[in-house]
Amino acid sequence: MLQQIIALAIVGYFLTRLFKQKNKKQISGGEFVFWFLFWLLLGVMVIGLKLIDRLVFNLGFSASGINVLLYLGVAALFYFFFKIRLRQEKIERDITEVVRELAIAKKEK
Amino acid sequence: MEKKIFCVVPAFNEEKNISRVIKIVKPLVDQVVVVDDCSRDKTYALAAAEGVVVLRHIINRGQGAALQTGNDYAIKMGADIIVHFDADGQFSADEIGDLVNPIVNGEFDVVFGSRFLGKKSDMPWMKEKFIMPIARLVNAILLDVRITDPQAGFRALSRKAAMSFRIMNDGHAHCSEIMHKTIKNRLKFREVPITVTYHHFGQTVFSGKGRRSGGLTIIKDLLLAKFID
Repeated sequence: MLQQIIALAIVGYFLTRLFKQKNKKQISGGEFVFWFLFWLLLGVMVIGLKLIDRLVFNLGFSASGINVLLYLGVAALFYFFFKIRLRQEKIERDITEVVRELAIAKKEK
Repeated sequence: MEKKIFCVVPAFNEEKNISRVIKIVKPLVDQVVVVDDCSRDKTYALAAAEGVVVLRHIINRGQGAALQTGNDYAIKMGADIIVHFDADGQFSADEIGDLVNPIVNGEFDVVFGSRFLGKKSDMPWMKEKFIMPIARLVNAILLDVRITDPQAGFRALSRKAAMSFRIMNDGHAHCSEIMHKTIKNRLKFREVPITVTYHHFGQTVFSGKGRRSGGLTIIKDLLLAKFID
């Protein structure tokens, strides 16, 4: 119970931060919706931990609900890391294009 | 009509070789284009002193990026055939004709040099027996490319071929990428035997000269490109 309260407090803190960032226009509308849904889902999962425990048990897994959440969290981290890597690669390609344009333009002067 | 032949030489920290390479290549082509990939040594000044076109990347971007810069410039200047020639002096300039002639005759769009077609190169044993077979396997699995020399940098492209694709891999994965795009774009290609004189080992599994080289990096870049292109 105490752990759930702490987890909900953390979720609450990040949600407050999110709204502050939105008010200061530090994040776009799309980003706000994504992170709002993310923290909201996390909050619901924390509240319904017992339900997740039962669900996991009924699915035949021996782990508890909190463990499953952790596994899902790690999988999500890998996914986000991969997305960032792809975005970085696209930025690298854009930098190359700029460097190329400069090299050719300088020669043509 | 005479074909206008451009030789693109990507160079990164090649002050020891660049002048010699330009001197041997220059009489054999219409224009030499050196792309200095932000060398920290005197490569740029030495190349410029030879009276050839020298383009300079203000940030080091890798060999593939330098080759595409050279391609763009050559196309802009009206090149009919573009030869890619390394700046380390390991290729034989007298073999440029072997690569260019099939394109001049209109038989092929792309000609790849191969170190595995008869002519003897003094390739290090480790490279020949271990790295190259793995590179061939990677090309076949990831890109459906089955060519005898999986990492040859000595090649000639017709204008049509050079305009039909862009080299997107900035690093050394460009070799596999060019082969893949040649096949994908249904360009007519062939391999011709070349000789390579090794002054150094070159790429290893973990490292190589220049940005994003080394076997594992090449594989990683080819995999990443699959999700981006």
